[in-house]
Amino acid sequence: MTTITILGDEVATATGEWADGRPLVEPDALSAAVGWTLKPEGLCRDDQCVLVGDGSAIRVGDKLDLAAVANAVDQPTVVDPDAGIVVLGQPNATRQAALRDRQAPDFTLADLDGTLHSLSDYTGKKRLLVAFSSW
Amino acid sequence: MADDGFLVIAVAIDENIDEVRVLAENITYPVLMDPGHILTELYAISNVPAVVWIDEDGRISRPNAYEFGSDLLSEFTGRTRSAHFDQIREWVHNGAVPEDASSQIADLSEDEVAARLHFRLAAHLRRNGDEVGAARHFDAAAQLAPLDFTVVRAAMPLQGESPFGEEFFKILAEYEAAGTPFHGIIPASEA
Repeated sequence: MTTITILGDEVATATGEWADGRPLVEPDALSAAVGWTLKPEGLCRDDQCVLVGDGSAIRVGDKLDLAAVANAVDQPTVVDPDAGIVVLGQPNATRQAALRDRQAPDFTLADLDGTLHSLSDYTGKKRLLVAFSSW
Repeated sequence: MADDGFLVIAVAIDENIDEVRVLAENITYPVLMDPGHILTELYAISNVPAVVWIDEDGRISRPNAYEFGSDLLSEFTGRTRSAHFDQIREWVHNGAVPEDASSQIADLSEDEVAARLHFRLAAHLRRNGDEVGAARHFDAAAQLAPLDFTVVRAAMPLQGESPFGEEFFKILAEYEAAGTPFHGIIPASEA
């Protein structure tokens, strides 16, 4: 067993193992790692469940492949077994809802003093979101 | 316009907090740090500055546009901001949006998404002192999205290169030759 680092909105870790380049965890470690839980009806989060058929795409023996789980719920991944890291992207559907349906995706980021702000903290105001950089 | 139920939220697609502090000096609205480039993935942002108009209910009134929406960075550009500011005033006071607000922004390709994840991994490895691993993933990101400035240009200072140097101008020329593939509106005066 080893520590798998999950690089998502935040950095999380899970105890698991790498097998043939696949990041595997016990089913009960899944929720803490990626926010989804495997139930009889599928992969579930809050009140949403995604069907996974017989689960063969995400199961390796009695373990679950973190990257395959993420992909099953339409979250892209990049894995680096040498570094022991799974990068967990944002759900593609969130961006597509922004582009197609004009729903502004919420996010939470720290300001220069470390205080967290979410876009949704300012619901009720018109907001000008400005992405900039020093480069 | 702060009294009109209007707020600027600036997000630095950057991890150099010292440089951002300099740019944000005297600014009173929220200036947030996004070293993992979460925003570029959520909103399909491929260069900065990118400005998104979001209404009271969280709907996008005008999608990504290559505009200078605040005084941030204006010293570098010499571009007039007055036309954009007039449009913003119209929107804040009357809810009116310019014609280009209905533009459909192309989604990121799978490669462009993967490039963002490789960038995030590279930046993480670099922060943890793994320069070799970082270089491998910065390279993978650049292979996947060679004309995306949030990928290739943002990587330059993290790899000890100048983001205003020869390599930048080479990529800028390729970007222009490719028809400025920006995921968003490029206002006519900027095209």
